[in-house]
Amino acid sequence: MKRALALALGLFLALPAVALAADTTTTPDKKFDPSEEWNLHEWIPIHLGPINLSITKAVAYLLLGALLSILLGVFLMRVKTGKDPDRKQALGEIIYEIARVQVAEQGLPTKAMRTWFPYCASLMIFIWVVNMLGFIPLPLSDEKFHVAGVAIPTLAIFAATSTLSVTLALAFMTWMFTHIEGIRANGVMRYLRSWIPEVPKALYPLIIPLEILGQFMRLISLSVRLYANMLAGHMLILTFIGLIFVLGNLFVGIVAVPAAIAFYLFEVVIVVSIQAYIFAALSAIYIGSAIEPEH
Amino acid sequence: MSALSIVGAVDGNVADAGKAIALALGIGLGALGAGVGIGNIFGSMIQAVARQPELRGELQGIQWLGFALTEAVVFYGLIGGLLAYVLV
Repeated sequence: MKRALALALGLFLALPAVALAADTTTTPDKKFDPSEEWNLHEWIPIHLGPINLSITKAVAYLLLGALLSILLGVFLMRVKTGKDPDRKQALGEIIYEIARVQVAEQGLPTKAMRTWFPYCASLMIFIWVVNMLGFIPLPLSDEKFHVAGVAIPTLAIFAATSTLSVTLALAFMTWMFTHIEGIRANGVMRYLRSWIPEVPKALYPLIIPLEILGQFMRLISLSVRLYANMLAGHMLILTFIGLIFVLGNLFVGIVAVPAAIAFYLFEVVIVVSIQAYIFAALSAIYIGSAIEPEH
Repeated sequence: MSALSIVGAVDGNVADAGKAIALALGIGLGALGAGVGIGNIFGSMIQAVARQPELRGELQGIQWLGFALTEAVVFYGLIGGLLAYVLV
């Protein structure tokens, strides 16, 4: 039973390769370009004045991710706690414990726990789900292949977090909450003064611009870390598979496919979880250090 | 972004070759630094756990935090290189 399941899963995962091969044989002069995956076409154009709210591939992935994280929370966490916990409850408790002990308690002071633990936990779960969705082949892509006259979207891997606007929005949320909480807990002047470390007064002209710049660098580093990790992961996998088509030799696949699988496993096992954990933990640390500055 | 832009330089497309080299240098030098840093983190972690195995749980959080902060350095190089490649 398990073996049959693994075989079915393997065949399912191999399908995109067949579709891609079929695509390149029909249009042989089309050049392979992995960055084309990030050209987001507007599926449902919505333009509000200068603001573009169109539904694209990334938005579809985000909506799916949001739905799945809600379902994950409802099914795993909203259970009646019985005397003998079943597997579902145990899994829910593991996720809760990671979010609480490993993420929130890293940075948040105890008094801010009630307010900001839910934010950090949902950030962790949401980013994990969206990252993970990025490595499951789904029929959500701009390219179509035709079977008996019906255009079916090819299976493709794409993560919403590998677009900068998504991660920047998430990072901006944390950044805003950091300053709002810092001002609410300490007052404007005391909070701004807490940015400046204790140095001789003569160094202030040098330190103050650097510290202000540092606050904005947090925004960039938080968003670019997640974005570039996911982008580089997908780019590596696509490039290694694409080598077969760039060099036009099927035997390249003997090296390229295992290498791509190795990168895929590395991304799924390590990077996806680490990035979700890091983003949430750093959010907790930033918010916590704004509420209780060190001096 | 074609994988063969350096070959293109032979035809006189020097600007493309320069961009390709900038991209490669950005990633390569970034990876050099991050490689040293990540090795340092895990080496220290092994030493720490060997000395005090009971602290493993507490140290692991710090370890992964340091790992991700260090690893991000590569990607700053990568993004800088990609910007040089695409925009300039």
